[in-house]
Amino acid sequence: MSAQLPSADDTGPRAVGAPAHDKLDDQAFDELFRESAADVHAYAISLLGNRAAAEDVTALAFERLYRARARLDHGRGTPKAWLFAIARNAALDELRRRRRQPQSELPDEMAGDHDHDEAFEQIARRATVRDALAALPLREREVVLLKFHGQLSNSELAKALDVSESNAGTRLHRALTRLREQCDGLGREEQIA
Amino acid sequence: MKVIPFPSGGAERPDEAWLSELEAALDGTAEGPRADSWRELRADVRALAPPMNPAFERELGERIAERRARAAPKQPHRPKQPYRRLGWLHRPSRPALAGVSVVCTVIAVVLIVAPWRPAGHVVESYSKSPSIAAHADNAGQSSGTVASAPAAAANKGSALAQGDLVPASGAPAAMSARVQQLGASISLATTPGEVQAVADRVSQLATSDGGYTQSSHVNTGEDAGEASLTLNLPSAKLSAALTSLGRLAPVRAESQTLQDITNTYDADRQRLSDATAERQALLRALAKASTEGEIDSLRERLAQAGGAIAQANTALRAVSQRASTSEVEVTVIGDKSVGSEGLTLNRGLHDAGRVLVVTLAVLLIAAAILVPLALVIFALAGGRRAWRRHQRERVLDAR
Repeated sequence: MSAQLPSADDTGPRAVGAPAHDKLDDQAFDELFRESAADVHAYAISLLGNRAAAEDVTALAFERLYRARARLDHGRGTPKAWLFAIARNAALDELRRRRRQPQSELPDEMAGDHDHDEAFEQIARRATVRDALAALPLREREVVLLKFHGQLSNSELAKALDVSESNAGTRLHRALTRLREQCDGLGREEQIA
Repeated sequence: MKVIPFPSGGAERPDEAWLSELEAALDGTAEGPRADSWRELRADVRALAPPMNPAFERELGERIAERRARAAPKQPHRPKQPYRRLGWLHRPSRPALAGVSVVCTVIAVVLIVAPWRPAGHVVESYSKSPSIAAHADNAGQSSGTVASAPAAAANKGSALAQGDLVPASGAPAAMSARVQQLGASISLATTPGEVQAVADRVSQLATSDGGYTQSSHVNTGEDAGEASLTLNLPSAKLSAALTSLGRLAPVRAESQTLQDITNTYDADRQRLSDATAERQALLRALAKASTEGEIDSLRERLAQAGGAIAQANTALRAVSQRASTSEVEVTVIGDKSVGSEGLTLNRGLHDAGRVLVVTLAVLLIAAAILVPLALVIFALAGGRRAWRRHQRERVLDAR
């Protein structure tokens, strides 16, 4: 892993004047790590389409959160919102640094990593969702991934995106609507086929 | 293939109900097919991501634990703080250090500038008197402002003058000592109400030092007042007199002048010597005279020589008098602001006030420099942040 030390402005929303009792202590950090490490990784790999890069981003996010834990202000966002904001910044920096096109479709391992007992219908539906998701513009796909992988509330989503709640709601609505349209379109094509 | 019945979002801009329905569906509080479809969609999206590599997860957990362990040992190594009040000595915070630095800088600037020192008050700040010797060696007239109380020079000048009052019969050209006339002026500051009292004390001082008040003019009022006195003091006591005058009231300004009158003195002495020699010669000639006409002529010339001797003596005494006494101009200024300059406590408060004013001025100047600088830094930091955010967002738009 090539986790590099983050700069101060990479730690997501600012935490100013956080009282001491609101700081993210080691126990809470461990709990957050156990609960959210897989989600952060899933978000990163879905956005970047690369396992190594996703691991880098995941490690970076937790390292930066650990460094910034003393400055966390619970009044200005939950630790999970901060974590995903950091992960998002790190992922976007990774995309920018690599300067290469992310895979327009999700990796093959995603589609094939299922139990054989799963119903055919479920497999087909997920394939449709995967294709629809891949067809979304990156900005909209990112919102869907943040929402579903991070399991963030609307306010947490707003914090992670560093926008207002209204703006976050609008983006989410637009992204889910387009995802639905994509899925509808793909479903009809398959029906016709 | 079955078309998945996604819940409808309605209009482009979501209303609160749509968001609430989505939230309720995703957190499991809502029931029904629409809520189920949201949950199913989330499950499908989450299922697309491959699971995290267990090795990576374990390694990440170890790294976090290791990082925490690196941070933890610092605490036991910290010096114990048995005295809570002295805790700040062990771990000075950055703001405290910055504050101390600023205060030290301000104090240093204030001490360097030292605006509370009045320019004319500290007599020692005048240039000392290397000019005395130069003046003393100069022929003819010379005058200049000299440092306070050149006692040695004054004593020398007066001693020379007094010692040579009797005309020497030897060659006057051989005399190398200089004859000098000293003068001084001093300006004292006091309250308007004290002008008269200070002027009286100045006169008393002149008398006690063996001199006298040549002239005096006192003008007093409620808001202002001034007294001008001309003292005539023995040159030998000039230095001591100036010191005593300085004790009467704060000194605003002080200067001394020196004029070399050696040539005048020598000329008068030469004239006296010549006249005396001529008179003796005439007396010898008179003793040898035999005719009536010759005797009358010699007596007439003797009378003239006697007049010349008297005239030369008077001139010589006048020059000696100039050298042995010094004229001191004393000005007593009545100034309300001076008020309590003589009182230690009030003076200290006054100085403290001035120090505070200057400190505030320095802080103001520092703020005038630092505030714009800080604004620029904040603007640059904000700009950098906005630029990075823009760059990140551009990545999303470019794909």
